[in-house]
Amino acid sequence: MRHDDITEAIGNTPLVRIDPAVHGLANIDLYAKLELLNPFGSVKDRAAWHMARPLLAGAKPGDTVVELSSGNTAKALALLAGMHGLPFTSVTNRMKVPEIKELLLLLGAQIDELPGRSECLDPTDTDDPLARMHRQLASSGSGYLHTDQYFNERNVDAHVHGTGPEIVKDLDGRAPDWFVACVGTAGSSTGVARVLRQHNPDVEVVGLVAEKGDFIPGIRTIDEVHEVGLFDPDVYDTMAAVTADDAIDGLLTLSRRCGILTGPTGGAAFVGAVRRLRAVDATLTSRKSCVFIVCDRIESYLSYVRDRRPELFGRPPRRNSTGTLTDAELHAAPAIGVEAAQRWLGETDALVVDLRNPYAYQALHIAGSINLVDEVFADLLHAGLPFSRRRPVLMVCPVGEKSARYAALLRRMGHPDVHSLAGGIIAWRDAGAELVRD
Amino acid sequence: MLSLTPRIDPTIQSLLDDHDYLGELLDALGSPLAVVLPQRLQKNVTAFRETFRRHHLSGRLYYAHKANRSSALLRELAAGDIGVDVASLGELQHALGAGFTPDRIVATGPKSREFLWLAARAGVTVSADSYDELAELAGIVAGHRLPRVPVTLRLSGFASAGVRVLTRRSRFGSPVGELADLLDLLEKRADHLELTGVAYHLDTIGLPEKAVALESCLAALDECRARGLRPRSLDIGGGFGVNYLAEGAEWDRWTSELGQAVLGRRAPMTWENHGYGLRAENGTLRGSLAVYPAYRPVAGAAYLDRLLGTPAPERGRPLGELLLDHMYDLDVEPGRALLDQCGLVLARVTSVAGDRVGLDLNARDVSLEEHGVLMDPVVVPRGGDRRAGPAGVYLFGNLCLESDLITRRKVHLPVVPRPGDLLAFVNTAGYFMDFSATHALHQPIARKVAVYRSGGKRRWCLDEQYWPVHTRQEVP
Ligand SMILES: Cc1ncc(COP(=O)(O)O)c(C=O)c1O
Ligand SMILES: Cc1ncc(COP(=O)(O)O)c(C=O)c1O
Repeated sequence: MRHDDITEAIGNTPLVRIDPAVHGLANIDLYAKLELLNPFGSVKDRAAWHMARPLLAGAKPGDTVVELSSGNTAKALALLAGMHGLPFTSVTNRMKVPEIKELLLLLGAQIDELPGRSECLDPTDTDDPLARMHRQLASSGSGYLHTDQYFNERNVDAHVHGTGPEIVKDLDGRAPDWFVACVGTAGSSTGVARVLRQHNPDVEVVGLVAEKGDFIPGIRTIDEVHEVGLFDPDVYDTMAAVTADDAIDGLLTLSRRCGILTGPTGGAAFVGAVRRLRAVDATLTSRKSCVFIVCDRIESYLSYVRDRRPELFGRPPRRNSTGTLTDAELHAAPAIGVEAAQRWLGETDALVVDLRNPYAYQALHIAGSINLVDEVFADLLHAGLPFSRRRPVLMVCPVGEKSARYAALLRRMGHPDVHSLAGGIIAWRDAGAELVRD
Repeated sequence: MLSLTPRIDPTIQSLLDDHDYLGELLDALGSPLAVVLPQRLQKNVTAFRETFRRHHLSGRLYYAHKANRSSALLRELAAGDIGVDVASLGELQHALGAGFTPDRIVATGPKSREFLWLAARAGVTVSADSYDELAELAGIVAGHRLPRVPVTLRLSGFASAGVRVLTRRSRFGSPVGELADLLDLLEKRADHLELTGVAYHLDTIGLPEKAVALESCLAALDECRARGLRPRSLDIGGGFGVNYLAEGAEWDRWTSELGQAVLGRRAPMTWENHGYGLRAENGTLRGSLAVYPAYRPVAGAAYLDRLLGTPAPERGRPLGELLLDHMYDLDVEPGRALLDQCGLVLARVTSVAGDRVGLDLNARDVSLEEHGVLMDPVVVPRGGDRRAGPAGVYLFGNLCLESDLITRRKVHLPVVPRPGDLLAFVNTAGYFMDFSATHALHQPIARKVAVYRSGGKRRWCLDEQYWPVHTRQEVP
């Protein structure tokens, strides 16, 4: 397929049947609408392009595209703005997904994080930072092109004209009996539901939100959804809550067993769909169908999953790490006080290894010492001793705790003459011993 | 039920259980009555010290006096080893009079000439908010031939790299960009001013903002060192927070339901369906909930612990380790967090009619509402049985003003109170006791008493009569 520009590749995503052996439903065909195959990677490509197109067409040089988003909308808008030579600013409460933050920065976006709540609160100050920002964006001639995804009808429209009709076409002109989607701005679920109901007024629409206090990137919690201008409770026959655990379970199932590299919300939609359908499956007498949306891809969420399921990334413990030291080894770590250390350094050609961060080292250190930040040093040790056994070594850290651990480890690794500076460089300073900057 | 049950620790609980004791206190001293618990401070001090210890950090704890005017609390702390942060001439006098030596006092906030003079004369550390203030201080020291004054530079306006972390503007502190000018001035006035460190205080619960500030201040300290100065410490101000509620689930439920009430989908839970910052527009919630996050699982010393464990935005290492690496002390100025569980306000119920309870106190005497802290009071019944609740009621004060609601929230009480009973507003020592109290309409301001244990007995005295010299402590 040949295109003149990448935006033409938005939409027309496949609808893929999930193997019944995976979902275990006897009477229902379950389909995944693979929005992850959009060119920028998510369902939001459609909405972003549909909302931004008229704004970009009327843009003046130097205008800035702005959106409240910490995820896929921001990514799509950053790319679209870039194609038009315009900067993009993402305003967010918290960038909680590090990969997306890094990607946005790489794409040249500016990220503005709103301040946290005031500790010494003045409740008469209703002028919260968000309200202030909205006013600024709304004033004319501000130079901002605000796509306003939570309130912009074009966000819904994108799916009325794209996602919804595509599903009907792929089901041979029929709407499914169930439609399940996670709700972020409500754009995709509202638009698709509108189209499906025109074909089948009885379609049951299930909206999924995150459990209060839980976090699933891209979608809202039960409370937050009421702050969404496009959200209309009547669109949904059922609203249900899913957890981060559900989302990860679903993500694992779809990627390990179906070859669908979904992000957490696609996983949540799968789990939410199966949970809803299992309740009715046994009572059915005819074949039914259900469609759920796979919004985006897995790659951006590695740290999200790692934080919650470290065991999935389990590697065998590394050789020579301080974590494996026994209490006895730690106790036996040879420590040396400041005065004795000064004498010892005078008598030997001991190597002084300073484990602190390089800025601290550069500001002040023991004359003649070298700086190997603890993380770097730990990495070196996995491979073996980074200096000769014949060279005596004095390990130095702020208070003598880390250095004691490394001294113990070096000793276990066969270094015969290693010491830890007791009390660390702080004791050294407090004793009035010399510190230099080069 | 939409209760917001307060967190109550054993000291306050045992007091609440002693209905007659509290009743007699109120009979003798009138309603409302503020009660402070000086001996409960130690537990909070210990928790902060423990966090310091875990991170191997040295440094000083300064109690932010502004959180409570009490003499008893101040004197109790003077008897221990922590310092005090004073923000006015009066507070400085109070602290000196309570027994704090100048090396344990830091002066912050807006400073009059008199405040600067007394600070310099006594030799307390002055946390300077601007170039002009620093220059004025140097002038006072020179003009009155005073000894060199220790100063810290309070900085503000920190910029982050990569993600731009926005922060409310503060009217305190010098922009970090002006550090070089400040250091020039310090060099010029070296005979009068001695730099001991830099400081910030941010009015936010947001860790990312504080992480940016802390890392920037470390860079500022290194710059001071590079100029040949010998700064000792980084003072990160206050703002560690308190957890007011016993259960997160209650808080979650209440805040969810408030949104529904504002949207008109359930009966109002507040006076005139007040939204606390939320409002309905075309069926959508707009605005944001402008209340204190009353349930805070990570607060006080634990919040400090979290901050110290937070990776520095640029250098990546946890902030606590950076402080250690660079060999700086950490100073903190907690107000609210140090007073956690250290006091309560009592008021007599004057009338009960339907869902309205009248109290002999007004919203200024217990300024929970003004500070956006939502929690239920506790009923202290006096004699006889009470009808079992739960009772959802509105609390009215003793001012003849329409608006004198103690809180616009409908509070929930486990039993229905009767006139003559007491309501206890627990955990109100930090900012809610005397921060806003006035004599409006000739209503009395609450008397304040200190309740303490000595010789195995519970005792009380007027706040200003309390001195931490209990006979049992004296070894003959
Ligand atoms: C990963 C992810 N899933 C689901 C959604 C929800 O889509 P919508 O905003 O159309 O409700 C979003 C939207 O931001 C998203 O980023
Ligand atoms: C400079 C300074 N330090 C400390 C505090 C105490 O803050 P908190 O009571 O939140 O700990 C304040 C409060 O306003 C302050 O301005």
